[in-house]
Amino acid sequence: MSIPFNLVTGFLGSGKTTLLKRLLTGEALGDTVLLVNEFGEIGIDHLLVEEIAPDAVLLPSGCVCCSVRGDLKQALLELDAKRARGELPAFRRVLLETTGLAEPAPILATVATDHQLRGRYRFGLIITVVDAQHAVTQAALHPEWLAQVAAADRLLISKADVVDADAIDQLRQRLSRLNPAAVQALTTEIDDHDALLLDAGVHGPDPGGEVAQWRLFSPPKASVHGEAQVCCLEFDRPLDWMLFGVWLSMLLRCHGQRILRVKGILDVAGSASPVVIHGVQHCLHAPVHLAAWPKGERHSRLVFIVRGLEVAALRRSFTAFLGRAEHAL
Amino acid sequence: MCGLCGLLGEQAHWSDPLGEDALWRRERARRIHAINRAIAPSRLSVTDFQGVAYLLQGATGRQQLASGLDELWRAAEALLGRALDPLSPAILDHLEAAP
Repeated sequence: MSIPFNLVTGFLGSGKTTLLKRLLTGEALGDTVLLVNEFGEIGIDHLLVEEIAPDAVLLPSGCVCCSVRGDLKQALLELDAKRARGELPAFRRVLLETTGLAEPAPILATVATDHQLRGRYRFGLIITVVDAQHAVTQAALHPEWLAQVAAADRLLISKADVVDADAIDQLRQRLSRLNPAAVQALTTEIDDHDALLLDAGVHGPDPGGEVAQWRLFSPPKASVHGEAQVCCLEFDRPLDWMLFGVWLSMLLRCHGQRILRVKGILDVAGSASPVVIHGVQHCLHAPVHLAAWPKGERHSRLVFIVRGLEVAALRRSFTAFLGRAEHAL
Repeated sequence: MCGLCGLLGEQAHWSDPLGEDALWRRERARRIHAINRAIAPSRLSVTDFQGVAYLLQGATGRQQLASGLDELWRAAEALLGRALDPLSPAILDHLEAAP
């Protein structure tokens, strides 16, 4: 069974490290490997139990903290090899803390498409920490901010104590317009047992519960947000999976950089159960079959978060390849 | 792998048929037909190669083998010198003219 791999991302100084440091003092991450760039950055010296390898330390909870020295693929393969040799305690999940300027898509692509990694790890959640104090400035100045927010499955708002309630409310609304399918919470509400952090999303034990949180069936009214747009396609007829695959793979190849996130639940012709797809930029995850339709609503819905892409052209293209969309919102 | 020619099977892709293997050949033929409709305005064509790969041909006779859709779009890009754009009016006009 592959091991879920969750990504903790967020802009420089957003509070990722502060959150992880707090969580590491608890017990619930005992079966987790935390990958960081440098031990020094996370400041765990006071927690350290023993060094179990040159680049891995054991914390009191049983959590293993590793620094990624070279590339991520090598680090993940070494983790797996060390576990097999008994040099590391068994672990049930991996959390990777990215650098502030990292876009999630290349990391996702490494885990999802690499032949050696694919059977060993599966992508779980993208958790983005959003700095409540500096969100407006970061959104305006740095394209990575939008990519990180749009890619998120979870949006954790940090520094809520240094801004007023109105600002938090506005930020929540802004994040909802940008990424309606992500679950939001304040970092102060998160503890080390929190499923928001430790779940594996649609690739976990309860994909139906995860999809029910996506709010695909109650999209925001306003679809334009600065340079990003949310495009929802909804259709009543069963979808031809083969045509859909040709269309979406061609689209992602050509416009992957502009498609920050795609999520959807599909009524596929010939399949009794709904099929869930989701991806970030060029990279699409393996589809997941759900046991039943959320809320019993049997119709397909696709939500795209795009940047610099003509939404009208996207709708026209979908219709030309697959047939008429019944409701284009 | 094919024992006679040493060809590897087509790479697994998220868009592979969701159902039984028996449908695979029929779905593959439908997929090639759909691809040809979309790439015809760019004067490209695709044929099946041994059931495991796609043979892509350009207008000047240049050919490239591709295993799976991702490789196919990359190969088309290499032949054309630009990406195949499913939003381009040329492709959409063509598809809409003969739905």
